[in-house]
Amino acid sequence: MARIVLEEIGLTFRVRQRTKLTLKEFLVGQMFRRSLNPILKVHALSGVNLTVERGDRLGVIGHNGAGKSTLLKTLAGVYQPTHGKMVVDGRVSSLFDLALGFEIDATGWENIAYRSYLQGETPRTVRGKRQAIADFSELGAFLNTPVRYYSAGMLVRLAFAIATSIDPEVLLIDEVLSVGDLAFQAKARARMGEMVDRAHLMVMVTHDLESVPKVCNRAVWLDHGHMMMEGPTEAVIAAYKSLAAPVKVAA
Amino acid sequence: MQGLSTYFKEIWRRRYFWLSLVKVDLRSRYRGSAFGIGWSLLHPIAMTTILCVVFSTMMKTEITDFAPYLMAGLTFWQFVTCSSLLGCECFFAGEGYIRQHPAPMAIYPLRTVLGAAFHFTLGFLLVIVLTLICHGAGFLGVAPLLSLIPTFALLLIFAWSLAILFGLANVRFRDLKHISDVGFQGLFYLTPIMYPEDWLENRRYITVLFHLNPFMPFLHLLRAPVCYNAVAAPETFLAATLITVATASAATAAMYWQERKIIFHL
Repeated sequence: MARIVLEEIGLTFRVRQRTKLTLKEFLVGQMFRRSLNPILKVHALSGVNLTVERGDRLGVIGHNGAGKSTLLKTLAGVYQPTHGKMVVDGRVSSLFDLALGFEIDATGWENIAYRSYLQGETPRTVRGKRQAIADFSELGAFLNTPVRYYSAGMLVRLAFAIATSIDPEVLLIDEVLSVGDLAFQAKARARMGEMVDRAHLMVMVTHDLESVPKVCNRAVWLDHGHMMMEGPTEAVIAAYKSLAAPVKVAA
Repeated sequence: MQGLSTYFKEIWRRRYFWLSLVKVDLRSRYRGSAFGIGWSLLHPIAMTTILCVVFSTMMKTEITDFAPYLMAGLTFWQFVTCSSLLGCECFFAGEGYIRQHPAPMAIYPLRTVLGAAFHFTLGFLLVIVLTLICHGAGFLGVAPLLSLIPTFALLLIFAWSLAILFGLANVRFRDLKHISDVGFQGLFYLTPIMYPEDWLENRRYITVLFHLNPFMPFLHLLRAPVCYNAVAAPETFLAATLITVATASAATAAMYWQERKIIFHL
């Protein structure tokens, strides 16, 4: 049963002002004098309460740095919340940071296998769908060459084809609609539509306010890690636009 | 305890993933090299030959006794240092995957250690061949050879634990790899790899250090079969097991504490 429940979820990053902490600084610097490289606390998410049930299509909107992607990565289990209680039930598939996690010396075919294995697949299940992934990526003979020779667009196409080859219960999407060239984008949109239809529930992060009402039935507006509003898509977008729209300055 | 068994089940569920990465690492290490995997065999052979020529004249020992002793020590040392020093980088090497998917973090140090274990196994097969050349085909008994199986298993867990500890520490303190590099060089000379163990007897502090050296039981377990055609004493197995359990417990505790914090430090 696909379901997401967040209760008072908070995530605080502890980052250093400059580079990483060195052993010398840890052993000497902090004991005898005030650190020149203090820890800064960044509250990426605070007090987020949210319940997403089966059938929901939730759009997450907000300005840059509002915590949208952090929320998605927290739902995916990549980040663990520092406060609150989180329950994510169902098989999760996430579409973010698609260009990461390739073995550049391995071929496209091999990378299809590795990425699928990471998601818990076996050689038998991968054999069944590798051709479909290859066909969708349209990379043809390039799949026989190491991915170090791929262009950025080719890499994302392959990643998209692999990531969307599974049938998820919980689908998490972060701004991946601009994949590859125009022709591939149309194909990607169609694939996304199919996935969204099949997934039991979906959470999508986007800046494209036009597409949110078409895809989502609910929306959440985040601002500096806080949840400003949650409810029907149109109402949330209208509220966001009224507050977040750039102020016109008289000439 | 249940959490630990679920954790290992998750690691096992992704076995095809980390085994594939080990294969990629091994392949890319020798990519474009004409001699390929042969280099990993040639390295201990060359080192043993050079050191044998230099030291056997100094130490007045039989080269046939000294060569397997030396090569077993060098192969072991190579495994331990590779697991620890390459282990320092293991989470950075897996960063792309860590940022995408919440798989158990222990698979990344395991990837490093299995790569090193492959070279160690090849190297130790050479040690066995060298022993047979030096002492004759009938030298090695079945029991001493079989005793190497639990030794290898202990060593694998010990090295995995070391890689976890070094990997986690290096994520926090990037200087660690360089410090460890120097530290392992010092330890190399304090451990009887290139010289007989009796050199360290009756030398006050050095002798104390020698008896506290956690690598010694493993060296004895590896050398007893190939150098003396014997199974190591039960006390040696017990010591190696205790050291492995202690290191693995420390690694488990550290992983439990740091598992979900690593990503914030990459």
